[in-house]
Amino acid sequence: MASELSFTGFAWKNLWRRRLRTFLTLGGIAMAIGAFVALVGFSRSFEHEWQRLYSSSGTDIAVVDKSFINTSVDESLEGKLRAVPVVAQASPMIFNLIDLTPEVNALVFGWRADSYEFESLTFLSGRRYRNGAPEVLLGDVLAKTLDKKVGDTLTIQGSNFTVVGIFHGGTALEAGAVLMPMDQLQKLSNLQGKVSGYHVRLRPAPAGEAPEAYMKRAQAEIEAALPGLDAQPASERATNNQFVSLAHGVAWGTSSIALMMGILGIANTMAMSVFERTREIGVLRALGWKSRSVMLLIQVEAVVLGLVGGILGIGIGWGALHLLSTLPQTESIASASVSPMHLLEALGISILSGLMAGAIPAWRGAHLSPVEALRHD
Amino acid sequence: MTSPQLEVRNLRKSYDDGRIEALRGVDLSIASGEYVAISGASGSGKSTLLQLLGGLDKPTSGEVLFENSLLGTAVDLDDYRAHRVGFIFQAFYLLPTLRAIENVQVPMLALNGDAGNRRERAEALLIEMGLENRLNQYPNELSAGERQRVAIARALANHPSILLADEPTGNLDSVNSARIIEMLVGIQKKRGMTLIVVTHENDIANAAPRHIRIRDGRIAS
Repeated sequence: MASELSFTGFAWKNLWRRRLRTFLTLGGIAMAIGAFVALVGFSRSFEHEWQRLYSSSGTDIAVVDKSFINTSVDESLEGKLRAVPVVAQASPMIFNLIDLTPEVNALVFGWRADSYEFESLTFLSGRRYRNGAPEVLLGDVLAKTLDKKVGDTLTIQGSNFTVVGIFHGGTALEAGAVLMPMDQLQKLSNLQGKVSGYHVRLRPAPAGEAPEAYMKRAQAEIEAALPGLDAQPASERATNNQFVSLAHGVAWGTSSIALMMGILGIANTMAMSVFERTREIGVLRALGWKSRSVMLLIQVEAVVLGLVGGILGIGIGWGALHLLSTLPQTESIASASVSPMHLLEALGISILSGLMAGAIPAWRGAHLSPVEALRHD
Repeated sequence: MTSPQLEVRNLRKSYDDGRIEALRGVDLSIASGEYVAISGASGSGKSTLLQLLGGLDKPTSGEVLFENSLLGTAVDLDDYRAHRVGFIFQAFYLLPTLRAIENVQVPMLALNGDAGNRRERAEALLIEMGLENRLNQYPNELSAGERQRVAIARALANHPSILLADEPTGNLDSVNSARIIEMLVGIQKKRGMTLIVVTHENDIANAAPRHIRIRDGRIAS
């Protein structure tokens, strides 16, 4: 059967001519897209877990300091907060990210023993800790990672704590977390009298008041009662908290650098390809190809590089996320699942990378004089 | 008297900011269906004249008219090359990554026709060139004579009315040279096409019904 030539088939044959260069270029863009899928996917799963953390505990509002990094709030404000009419329950809390072993770090939450946030946890063994006692609870995943059970001792920053319970939480963050009495974490963090913020459950909205309007009113009343503090809806706080913001910033920053390198790789390949094929471009022009057809051919080649590299990159990124979700250092905050929207985003970025990288070589190829191009050695 | 298919008026072409004058005022008329040989020494300007007739380049001054319309203004050069003329080059210029039948389809890709029709036409042209057993060979698997026959098939792909051949036998032995010229003349007669062959071989030039000699950028005879 004789061959049928299509535009994309022609583009692919041009790429296939220099296989090694094509594979190296594909490797570059695949690593860049892989970094995007893994890093941004990781930061998003981190954000998602925070959102679930708030929603599973039934927290409506988080009251925190208005500054970005320093979220320490006076513990003594609790009374004023509880006095706000819309507030049903207020739970002061403190959290930190602490190295438990050289390989394992974990989120450590300090709650009072009577915090409403215990309601969403299921105890697999042991009991709740007592305020003032050097006792901790471990999430089931963390307990397995550290190989600890009820009655064992866990040393945190030089202080010994007795494991008094193992729990299962609704989120990966809780499954990999340590819970301890708030006073103990204040002591460990040198933040006596301070808390990271308050989690608040609101009273039910009065009949006739829309939930959004009630939330806004509640925020305003809390902020009026506690000047200088920020009352954020829990879902918003999950997105805006400093850990999530930093994770997003690092993920996008690193991915952008990797993507820039990938784009430069494709641009270099296409520029070399156009230079090597100058005479062939002259032949195409002599055979009646318009400038825009030549431009399209080169752009299609660049987009094919971006797209194939992107598909490979999605595989790499997905593999990396799987790996992160099994490593003890990250299993509590990484999820191996990737949303379809994230995959589409990665494919879109791959195609856009190809288009950007191919633009200048395509323009140059399309504007070669046919006679000059035919004379090229 | 019928109007010429191609007409050239006081055609000049210079390079290097006017320091090199390839053509110095050429006037020429070529009728539809004519077979014309253009000969001259190296650097005489014969290939430059062919490039201007084929719309590959624009003149420094003067005019090239196709069917009384000015090339480059009334007639778009890309459209002219795609629909009206077919080029044959001395070095064949086949694309090395494509099979013979795919090379013939390349000009048709510019016209966005149906893919199946493209393949059928390419196959028919190659069979007409006696290459029915070489359809799927790559250029490096073909002899020089076969490559030039593929190039002729490619030049005919879009049904041009003018065939322009720049030293078509320059890379061929005498047997293949004679065969290619015989083939071109046969195509010209069968299809009623205009055939313009640039050559430095006197035998080929003298055998053409009309022979134009170029010397120092001017028509000598």
